[in-house]
Amino acid sequence: MSNIHEFRARPRPLRSAMRLPGIVAACLLLACSSAALAGHDDLRVGPAMKRYAGKITGLAEPDPQGRVYAFRAEPLPQGTRYTPDEMKGWRLTLLSGKRFSAVFEVQGNGAAEVVVTPLDGPLTDVAVNDLFVIEQIAVERQPK
Amino acid sequence: MKLIALVLAGFVEIATAQSARVPADAVDAFHTALRNKDTAGALSLLDRGLVVFEFGGVDPTVESYALRHLPLDMDLAVAARWSLETRRVGGEGNERWVLSTYRVTGKQADGTPIDQTTLETAILRRSGDLFRIVHLHWSTSDPAFQARVQQQRPK
Repeated sequence: MSNIHEFRARPRPLRSAMRLPGIVAACLLLACSSAALAGHDDLRVGPAMKRYAGKITGLAEPDPQGRVYAFRAEPLPQGTRYTPDEMKGWRLTLLSGKRFSAVFEVQGNGAAEVVVTPLDGPLTDVAVNDLFVIEQIAVERQPK
Repeated sequence: MKLIALVLAGFVEIATAQSARVPADAVDAFHTALRNKDTAGALSLLDRGLVVFEFGGVDPTVESYALRHLPLDMDLAVAARWSLETRRVGGEGNERWVLSTYRVTGKQADGTPIDQTTLETAILRRSGDLFRIVHLHWSTSDPAFQARVQQQRPK
């Protein structure tokens, strides 16, 4: 993973307090879900693909053009660890926040950092506490 | 000719995932997106006010569903075949419902067969021209399965 991305010492404030209840609820559920196998997951099937989830804890400093392509993350659920650069080329999808359902390609990752490629644009409007999943599958882009 | 067919097939797939103008299409597109491992496509069909009831469990927000259960539902959608058996639709205006039953068949990771009927209630809300799913409720006609799942929940 590149070292050129500097992270803000203080996280960006949430741009909308409205998103907080949902995120808090999701995190609480994660925290207390260790025994809560539910629904279809009672059927034990193999994972369709390898995946890691996480929560954004800090955004990198913008480049001279004001674009951000990297963030610091807390792997979820607690105790999960990212293997550096394992997720290179994988698909990142945002699960909350203003960019809900937006997709990016991972350029590289550290134990707690993720860098996305410029192919899908910068991480505009992505904020601290946003949730994401990174899956071992290529990003499919519509032809321009 | 083959190329045109492929391009058209791709276009239809994308159009289905992103523009469900008929409630039942939104439900079908959601299942298709799960089967295609298309996380963003599945999310795009969910209303931001989504609440999911799944075999006695609750995902109170779209974020909690996306984080906890959507991946597992995707795993099952990939591993098992969901055949639509019955469907009823209703509602009017911006609020509609789609009631479906599916026969879900396949094999679990240990080779145990999957063969059950899954009952699905979907409530959809129109936002602009598109319908998105605002509530999903899944259960099964198999009382033993339902009881087993609910016993696993923390009291």
